[in-house]
Amino acid sequence: MANTGWDEFEIGAMLRTFEGEAGDIAATLQEDRKYTENSSFSASVADWRIEKPIFAKDYCIDCQFCWIYCPDISIISRDKKMIGIDMDHCKGCGICVEVCPTNPKSLLMFPELADEETEIAQWPAKEKKEK
Amino acid sequence: MSEMKKIKNLKEFSTSADRFEGANLLCPGCAHSIIVREVLNATNDDLVLAASTGCLEVCTAVYPYTSWDASWIHIGFENGSTAVAGAEAMYKALKTKGRLKQPDRNPKFVAFGGDGASYDIGFQWISGCMERNHDMMYVVLDNEVYANTGGQRSSSTPIGSSATTTPAGSISYGETRNKKDMMGIMAAHNIPYAAQVAPNKWKDMVKKIQKGFATEGAVFINAVSPCTTEWKFDPKDTMHLTDLATDSLVFPLYEVIDGHELNITYRPKEKDIVPVEEYLAAQGRFKHLFKDQYKYLIKEWQERVDANWAYLNRREEARV
Repeated sequence: MANTGWDEFEIGAMLRTFEGEAGDIAATLQEDRKYTENSSFSASVADWRIEKPIFAKDYCIDCQFCWIYCPDISIISRDKKMIGIDMDHCKGCGICVEVCPTNPKSLLMFPELADEETEIAQWPAKEKKEK
Repeated sequence: MSEMKKIKNLKEFSTSADRFEGANLLCPGCAHSIIVREVLNATNDDLVLAASTGCLEVCTAVYPYTSWDASWIHIGFENGSTAVAGAEAMYKALKTKGRLKQPDRNPKFVAFGGDGASYDIGFQWISGCMERNHDMMYVVLDNEVYANTGGQRSSSTPIGSSATTTPAGSISYGETRNKKDMMGIMAAHNIPYAAQVAPNKWKDMVKKIQKGFATEGAVFINAVSPCTTEWKFDPKDTMHLTDLATDSLVFPLYEVIDGHELNITYRPKEKDIVPVEEYLAAQGRFKHLFKDQYKYLIKEWQERVDANWAYLNRREEARV
């Protein structure tokens, strides 16, 4: 894409997001879509992150708060279950951690270079409620 | 008329296939895309979208990328609304003439604009669309400032806010004019539906959006969109700020049907209402209001918010 000249695009800069038919896109999940290289889905903003969220599945109650409030469509939910984070599109804002209602939180922010397995192994314990 | 998408709870909602893509260039923690997602996911129908110049437009259409999985157009700063109105008029004409290629599909027409494009620059054009009652929805992403161009004040910027063209200092407390009552003005066009929404109250928001899609005629939506860059708060606090805005009643959630029937859709319990001071304290743009010199403005803020809330309650009761 970086090597495409300005005069190699269609007139009016019309960009097509999908290859071929896209009639039923509202019912097609991202993994089943045929994105072109013009869709920002094919791009990555992973290098924006200083901190990254790590997801500890054991504590998750699938409330989907992180899914609805994620500004970058980076929370992957399938069949009403939260299954992971899309690390190509996550900008590391930390909203998902803030809205997570479980105790301990099932999402926490760590430095970008932190190792996922190590961090999950030493996940903080349940916080006691202050009376 | 196609069937309305059923969204009973958040789990059901989360099965939606997003038609707005990541790797757009909006700031981390920007509320714009949360609002856009809640609007687009409220329907499964085809979409005809436009955006006026603003953060949303420049960040989602960075050549050679697009973040939209639906037909989307950008023309100018002022005419996001009329671009969609034109498409809608053409659609209607082709439908009447029986020349639609897929007559069974039922596209929805939505225009997005920031508060600069809506309150100031595109004001006349939106007014025209509302007056002609096009079957479309106009969504304002109201972040109360020209965030895209560096934080100049717009007519949506509230009193006391420090913007780059109304900076606060020893002789000025920032913006001196009050926020324009856009909802009131749009409702005065007697459009079928106008509503104020906030992304943190997603259920209320989706309900209103679906109501808007089901309405035949012009629909105006004003959505609060906390801006991490210009309101000056930590990106992770976007939803917290939205909660403060709705719970302090600075940004009350209500709808106006046919220009007169006002319903308040979110009424926090007496004990849950937070003081406006808390809302102001959470943002860097109001930092100077906590100096002794300008403290009287906080009291004025509270009085203004209380008066507005009382006004809305009276309107709701009177049905006029």
